[in-house]
Amino acid sequence: MLISDYIIRVDREGDRLIELKNIKKSFKKNPVLKGVDLKVNKGEVLVIVGPSGSGKTTLLRCVNYLERPDEGTISVDGFSVEGKNASKKDILNLRRKTAMVFQHYNLFKNKTVLENVMEGLLVAKKMKAPEARNISMDLLQKVGLGEKINDYPTQLSGGQQQRVGIARALALNPSAILFDEPTSALDPEMVGEVLSIMKKIAGEGMTMVIVTHEIDFARDAADHVVFMADGVIVEQGPPKDVLSHPKHERTKQFLKRLVREPEYEI
Amino acid sequence: MAIIDFKFALEQVPEVLKGVPWTLTIAIVAMIFGVLFGLLIALCRIYKIPVLNQLSILYISFIRGTPLIVQLYVFFYGVPVLLGYLNPRLGLSIEADNISPLIYALVAYTINTAAYQAEIFRSSINATSAGQMEAAYSVGMTTAQGLYRIILPQAIVIALPNLGNLFINLIKATSLAFAVKVVEILAISKIIANDGYRFLEMYLVASIIYWVICLVCEIIFSKLEKKMGRFEARMDLKAPA
Ligand SMILES: Nc1ncnc2c1ncn2[C@@H]1O[C@H](COP(=O)(O)OP(=O)(O)O)[C@@H](O)[C@H]1O
Ligand SMILES: [Mg+2]
Repeated sequence: MLISDYIIRVDREGDRLIELKNIKKSFKKNPVLKGVDLKVNKGEVLVIVGPSGSGKTTLLRCVNYLERPDEGTISVDGFSVEGKNASKKDILNLRRKTAMVFQHYNLFKNKTVLENVMEGLLVAKKMKAPEARNISMDLLQKVGLGEKINDYPTQLSGGQQQRVGIARALALNPSAILFDEPTSALDPEMVGEVLSIMKKIAGEGMTMVIVTHEIDFARDAADHVVFMADGVIVEQGPPKDVLSHPKHERTKQFLKRLVREPEYEI
Repeated sequence: MAIIDFKFALEQVPEVLKGVPWTLTIAIVAMIFGVLFGLLIALCRIYKIPVLNQLSILYISFIRGTPLIVQLYVFFYGVPVLLGYLNPRLGLSIEADNISPLIYALVAYTINTAAYQAEIFRSSINATSAGQMEAAYSVGMTTAQGLYRIILPQAIVIALPNLGNLFINLIKATSLAFAVKVVEILAISKIIANDGYRFLEMYLVASIIYWVICLVCEIIFSKLEKKMGRFEARMDLKAPA
């Protein structure tokens, strides 16, 4: 018991990849993040859970500066940005460390599947087209869309679009991939295909920060789980602790409601 | 004598057609420069660039709130005054009389149409979803790259029907170019009509020529819409409701 605790602690202090310090963010007068600290190690799969409106999306979007924090520091892969007064160059450099997979896919509508994946390589990485094409083709094969490379996003199902979104993120060869509820816009029968690809990527050692309501996935794939409520981290730890033996009342209530949910659908 | 002298009308067609290049030149050149300036103005407004944003609002309001023919007169009589003021101060010697009517028309119509295009582009850029730019940022693009590669190609497709209407209105509006002394379709027709007292015939000839030009433009624009919007799931191509 003691030893395993010790091992986990050592693990958590391993190779730090992302570090958020005291992140605060308000929209108008509404405080959404109230001083959040978050650490993600290299190769770690960190899952953020919590009730809707608790600030999970906002926190994730602070990591790649899609949201400008009012206060705090963001460090990704050795590159630190002071939350409030980051320069354009800082923001660009910070963004180029990570990739993001969006709830509503956000594939480039005017680009084909292949072009979607190549885009970041051509523009941000200044790669030559043939090389970018090869990398993109390989990744699209990997997510099972080798046949669809010339389709436009509107021609694909939600699950297919999200798999392109994942390929687009992988192509950048980022230090970490940020996932914001990657399966919550999907029809139930397509959730599995996306989660299984995410598991595969996790198995390959990619650092992942995932906001999700898929508790079974979290139990299965996460190294570390963070429970957020009302703009603060209430509880965090290995999934078996946070998800199976939560200490805090808020966490217990949240999980109870999630587990009970299917009953209502009958 | 027939009420309408068709023979006379037909005989005059080749002469009136000589006005077509003027009409097209004014409309096409104004449209192209209008796209450039309209886009820049739209971006100034969307990104709320200080000073330029306020100036843009004022300019668009003025252009949309005054008749084109009045703008043309103000421009035609204003430019010589402006040059008289600027020449000594900037050490220039541009004679207003040496500027050809076509140049006047091109500049005036560009100023006019750019205001309308700015509004079309502003609303079509705003109509692209915010997630598109965020995705562009997330793959490491700068704002300029995201605009150029992702947002504008989508915005132009959204804008195309309105741009088509605007262009057709522009073609019709060139019939006012006589105000800056350009002799285009309508002006030629009037001159011939005055000579032979055949007003109805000449106005019919002019109207049919305008009509044909506009029809051709409509066809071109609808082809363009199909070609450029190939990535869109269009209402009229979807399965029946
Ligand atoms: N752009 C925004 N403008 C104003 N309020 C926002 C904005 N984005 C999020 N919020 C508010 O911030 C709170 C947290 O939102 P969010 O981070 O999306 O939560 P979660 O992802 O946990 O559901 C919510 O109350 C939401 O209404
Ligand atoms: Mg959210």
